[in-house]
Amino acid sequence: MEGRTIVITSGKGGVGKTTATASIGAALALEGNRVVVIDMDIGLRNLDVVLGLENRIVFNIVDLAYQRCKVKQAAIRDRRIENFFLIPASQSDNKDVLTTVSVERVSKLLKKEFDFIIIDSPAGIERGFENSIAAADEAIVVCTPDVSSIRDADRVIGLLYARSVTPKIIVNRIVPQMVANGDMLSHEDILDVLSVELVGLVPMDEQVVVSTNTGMPLVMQNTSPAGMAFRRIAKRLNGETDIPVKVPECKTGMWNMISKKFSFKK
Amino acid sequence: MFNEFVKKFTGRSQPSGNTAKKRLQFALVYDKLEINDKTLVNLQNDIVEVISKYFEIDTENLQLEVQREDDVSALVFNTPIINIKREMV
Repeated sequence: MEGRTIVITSGKGGVGKTTATASIGAALALEGNRVVVIDMDIGLRNLDVVLGLENRIVFNIVDLAYQRCKVKQAAIRDRRIENFFLIPASQSDNKDVLTTVSVERVSKLLKKEFDFIIIDSPAGIERGFENSIAAADEAIVVCTPDVSSIRDADRVIGLLYARSVTPKIIVNRIVPQMVANGDMLSHEDILDVLSVELVGLVPMDEQVVVSTNTGMPLVMQNTSPAGMAFRRIAKRLNGETDIPVKVPECKTGMWNMISKKFSFKK
Repeated sequence: MFNEFVKKFTGRSQPSGNTAKKRLQFALVYDKLEINDKTLVNLQNDIVEVISKYFEIDTENLQLEVQREDDVSALVFNTPIINIKREMV
């Protein structure tokens, strides 16, 4: 059976595409799939550092696209998670070095060897974005609960529909306390505006920073609420569609809530 | 009730989430109504072609634009008529 190619995109930068790609990829591998994650942000690669694989880069996606190396050489094997691979972006090339045709060819090649090909799209809607979605059959749009990110998500969703791809959405960095206070858009509000299928809700989590600092995949830490959310998303993508989407809840009790409002704490 | 009491106490009025949603909905509607210049020029050429079958119009002084007010958008085409082509009627 051929593998599935899924692009992770957002339009706006800094909403957590790379974290989502790394986490979902790693989680799918932990579920027993053969997974490769691809960094398509040519010239500004980051998926390698997020995964702690920056020291092992020899070849990259541009080399693979131009047939200067084989899949085996370009895909770096993660030693911590079985069957988890990274194809890094090139850091020295120009953004326009790849074409949709070359990317489609790579995608076809990878589908034969992997169950999942997760593509980390660059921010923006230019060439890099076009290349990323050209290679993908499915799309996940990441947004955060703020006006600018949702607006960009809407634009990207429109562009995906225009290419006959039906996207799903992940709402990242939810602060349950702020949602409860009415100071943050709830996921219901966001779905109201965007009307796409929800695939997961990820709470704001300090562990994400720690994970990026150390290069240790988030989903390997059982204490990380965001990591757990991404594992649920991966399960859902893996076919366990009956897993309900978990809405992040306020951790704090009544007293903490009161003291927060009166700003005794923090 | 308790929340409202706290709000009064801390001097906070409307939570900003609702404002965000309303602004977002407006922004998305406006974004979708935006058309690029090329489309507008093509549209104008097509309209002129059709109208020219029935009217002689001053193509130098015509105007096609999208007018937006708070809750309605309108496509407005303005052209001076020089003559009516009688033979067409």
